[in-house]
Amino acid sequence: MPDRGPSGSPPSGSPSIEPVGDAGLLISLGSTTDPDVAAWAQAIAAAIDTARAATPAIGRPVPAHASVLVPFDPLAIELEDAIDFARQAVVAAEAGSSVAGAGAGADDGPVIEIPVRYGGPDGPDLDAVAGLHGLRPDEVVDLHASARYHVLFLGFGPGFGYLGGLPAALVTPRRASPRERVPAGSVGIAGEHTAVYPLAMPGGWQLIGRTDRVLFDPDRPDPALLRPGATVRFVPLRDE
Amino acid sequence: MTGPALEVLDGGLLTTVQDAGRPDWTHLGVPASGAADPWSLAVANLLVGNDPGRAALEMTLVGPTLVVRGAITVGLAGADLGARIRDGRRLAPGRSHRLGAGDFVEIPGDSRSLPSTGARAYLAVPGGVDVPLVLGSRSTCLAGGFGGLDGRALRLGDGIWPALAAAAGSAPVGAVRPELVWPEADGADRFDAVVTPATLRVVVGPAPGLDALGTIDWRVGTAANRVGIRLDGEPLPDGIGGETTTHGVPWGAIQVPPDGRPIILGADHQTTGGYRVVAVVISADLAVLGQLRPGASLRLVAVDRPAALRALRARRDALSAGAAALRDAAGWDALIDSAGG
Repeated sequence: MPDRGPSGSPPSGSPSIEPVGDAGLLISLGSTTDPDVAAWAQAIAAAIDTARAATPAIGRPVPAHASVLVPFDPLAIELEDAIDFARQAVVAAEAGSSVAGAGAGADDGPVIEIPVRYGGPDGPDLDAVAGLHGLRPDEVVDLHASARYHVLFLGFGPGFGYLGGLPAALVTPRRASPRERVPAGSVGIAGEHTAVYPLAMPGGWQLIGRTDRVLFDPDRPDPALLRPGATVRFVPLRDE
Repeated sequence: MTGPALEVLDGGLLTTVQDAGRPDWTHLGVPASGAADPWSLAVANLLVGNDPGRAALEMTLVGPTLVVRGAITVGLAGADLGARIRDGRRLAPGRSHRLGAGDFVEIPGDSRSLPSTGARAYLAVPGGVDVPLVLGSRSTCLAGGFGGLDGRALRLGDGIWPALAAAAGSAPVGAVRPELVWPEADGADRFDAVVTPATLRVVVGPAPGLDALGTIDWRVGTAANRVGIRLDGEPLPDGIGGETTTHGVPWGAIQVPPDGRPIILGADHQTTGGYRVVAVVISADLAVLGQLRPGASLRLVAVDRPAALRALRARRDALSAGAAALRDAAGWDALIDSAGG
């Protein structure tokens, strides 16, 4: 399963579109964390981005697991027109995905490799995660590093990508109490996801390792290393 | 190259450079940032002839101490944090002030520390604060450590350069030239209309629970910053708070975690959230949200969409009217100057 890329093809059933506040809409595709649905949300957000060039009242859409938040200026566009705009973007995304075909996207791009020092001070929760699953720490490392992950969406902090495809044996709840400061580059697990903290920030993920790769740099042409749909692999760095 | 117009002797509690924000990078998880009280940012800017969204200093509860290195006109708006020239005159909000080289500007905070006083004041300089654009904005992103002054709050030794330093610093000023005053009228166009908040108007949903939210006397908790504010009060009944599939969240969203204690998202809020959103502060009242101090008592009042939009239109109209009145006043000043006095 981990090497199957999300297809971005529309799931059955039409999405619900509801206002959130007086200046936003939420296009909801359900409550799933299925990678195919996340890819579908990305496709809808991309369609909105294309169409909003001609409709400046619509702001930058924010896709997530199974939804797209669409901000708009409520004095520049009526709610009904904003909903129509969103609906048309959904239709455009459906048409686009049928042209591109199922399976397009994730597996075609290069694999982003992230070298990781697992355990020790870099991964203070590795032993606890291993203990929870009745595994040895090196088995956790092997499992985590053998999987191919897909970037589902970016959120939580600048450049923070939610990665799907965590082996079922590693699915772990968040820490009971979050840390006030997680160092930049920390690799964590929470629920069925893994992620890299791009910057030092508070957080409750179980930390199993750390990388030196820079996940977010506002001065780069592409500030975020991870982009939705990309494939990610973690490469263990061994002490010599 | 000449030195800065203003030099920082003490940064205050949390003084950052903020403009209208960075709304176009939220898909990468970058918070929009920008002034927590956009109304007062606009007023401060208009008082020095800037567009309303230019970069200015946002000061929090206790402002900075600055020394003036080159004569400059500044616009002050938002909460009255007690700004004054050391051993000299008071610098009231809602007007521009001419500062002379060598002046020390002190902004010690409201000595009474009343919860009814606003939390944030804005100081604008001609042309805006000159810091580099990062991802299309000059706002400080504290979480990301970029934007503004190296992504951090002001501190001892920092310099503030106005984008129009030369023109504004050396222009002749008629001795009788009045400072520009924000044209106060009634209601929403008072410069300090947002400074004594007790009520935030909200619209419903998407999750249920708004009725319960409106019946409780809330108090702004000590966990209050640019990211959001925690509300203290009787927790909401079980079943209202909870987790949900992580989704994009707007500024002003009222999230209710499982413990039933609401969090209202601020200007630096995370782009996505995993708690239920039971209501969202109306756009017109985001400025009020930005002025809430820890300890302030607060009611949340539900309004319908037409009322929310009427309030927003009233705010925008008031800003346009204020801008027009200031332009007229500035034009009169220029006439006096050109006539020799």
